[in-house]
Amino acid sequence: MSAEGHSSAHSVPVTLLVVALLCALLLTAAHPHATAVPAEGRDDGMSVLRRAAAAEDEVAYSGVREVTGPEGTEGRRLNVRVVNRPGEGLAMAPVGDEDSTLVISPSSALESLDDRLLRMLRDTYDVSGAGTAVLEGRETLLVEAERADGTVAGRFWVDTATGLLLGRTVYEADGEPALSVRLTGLELEVGDWPEGESGDSPWGDTLTVGERDGLRDEGWPLPEYLDWNLRLVDARSTEYAGHRVVHAVYSDGLSQVSVFTQRGKLDTEHSPTLRNGYVGTGAGGGSVTTQHGTIFGGDAGQYQSMWQANGFVYTVLADAPAGLASSAVTALPGPGSGFWARVHRGLSRLGLL
Amino acid sequence: MDHLGERLSALIDGELGPVEHESALIHLAKCESCRFEADMMRRLKRRLHGLCEPEPDMDFMGRLTSLSRDPGGHSGHGPSDPPPGGAGFGARPPLGSSRPLGGFPGDGGALSAETVPAPDTAPTEPAARPDRRRIGSDRIAHLFPAFPAFPGGRYAVAGFAVATALLGSAFVAGGDSEEAPVVEPPLADYAVEHAVTSRYIPVVDAPPPTTAEAPPTTAEAPHGSVETTR
Repeated sequence: MSAEGHSSAHSVPVTLLVVALLCALLLTAAHPHATAVPAEGRDDGMSVLRRAAAAEDEVAYSGVREVTGPEGTEGRRLNVRVVNRPGEGLAMAPVGDEDSTLVISPSSALESLDDRLLRMLRDTYDVSGAGTAVLEGRETLLVEAERADGTVAGRFWVDTATGLLLGRTVYEADGEPALSVRLTGLELEVGDWPEGESGDSPWGDTLTVGERDGLRDEGWPLPEYLDWNLRLVDARSTEYAGHRVVHAVYSDGLSQVSVFTQRGKLDTEHSPTLRNGYVGTGAGGGSVTTQHGTIFGGDAGQYQSMWQANGFVYTVLADAPAGLASSAVTALPGPGSGFWARVHRGLSRLGLL
Repeated sequence: MDHLGERLSALIDGELGPVEHESALIHLAKCESCRFEADMMRRLKRRLHGLCEPEPDMDFMGRLTSLSRDPGGHSGHGPSDPPPGGAGFGARPPLGSSRPLGGFPGDGGALSAETVPAPDTAPTEPAARPDRRRIGSDRIAHLFPAFPAFPGGRYAVAGFAVATALLGSAFVAGGDSEEAPVVEPPLADYAVEHAVTSRYIPVVDAPPPTTAEAPPTTAEAPHGSVETTR
């Protein structure tokens, strides 16, 4: 026969091979990592954490909140004086810089957010009681949040007497503590309240499900998930100079990632480096991600990043382990400027991706 | 007894009304000549329907014919040897290319052996078609000398053209939108909003690391400074 006959005879196994490879690729990509699944369990520790959340609205106290970042991070500790007054709010100020006081007013929005965070924690991890422990001379109930593979993702220390949350630690996947918070010098009395502070509340314009869908239809990037365990738990918006800014909160129940999105582009002279003294560091001094420039690690395990992509400017602030912050950032549209990045952006705009 | 006549044709075509259709069927049951005529008309109609089917592509038939006449074949038959069981597939001229009934004008109307093309001489016209394809391939090879001529090159070139058009469209569509305003995100406000929802001190307003030096000796991570009992 002719060469065409031979080519058609060869094309059949080649086609089958390509189809098989594509199927294998899709199946591999769709199959999550063994630990990237919600942990099943009785979640018998949730009642302790709910009590701790309620105690914040019932117990007046003051003390010093010690925030500790990842090991090896310069300036990994931050001490914050906190004063809690039920009905008036929570006042926080860095020790030695009391002029920079932030007062958070109580609001139904925050209570609702607390409920959603607790549900997210329950859905993502196996939250169980792990006995009792002594912290700062006080007896506490220890609650652990475990991943599906049995490793500990977070621990909570809840004061047995008052129900207050005295300590909390979030761990990286390798078991290293990423962010630890403990309440020291606890005094169960009304502390000095910063007079003259009006207090802050979350942005008032809560985005309903329908409004979120409407924004997505208009091209706003507002994904429900940034990672398998990083789910959208709250979305709000406000306006600056007549332009909408959307604040999306993603959480796994242990950490929070805030994504601020607004239409526009950054000034060409805008340099994301050396902002507020942060010098492009992540955990251990290295950059957290390279796809979106550098995530700037602040003190005590806090991260921020800002970039532009597809006509939007993104600002990410995270109180999360470096791995989680990195996965959150990389899940959002990247600021690629090369040929293929532009082609990819164009395919997205044409609806082909 | 009156025969169906023209109504017979209407019956075959299904154009009779219910009453006439019923009476015609009753007549057919009784009349053998009408029944015979109806049977013939049905057969004729089937034949006519068969003629309306689409004819095979002349180009396709021509290529098949040229393949069957490939002298390098390994069938063991000579190019003029008829294949077993009669003429091979493609050896006959394509449908529609045979002489019409009654012959061509001027050939005397005789169905002689000379007028029926022999298997080895008939497909001169269809065999010329693949040459046109080869000419096209040669043109492609001439346009792209770096690429050797290979079967299906036309499809490769077409695919390349489609991919180029797609990439070009995506590149144009992926350009920066000039109408996007230049913005300076109010980072301090964002930090406060984040702090309110997370109940943590604002990240950007945190003091420089020097303020956090010399932490208290008790400022170890909670998990490292507690006694745990289960």
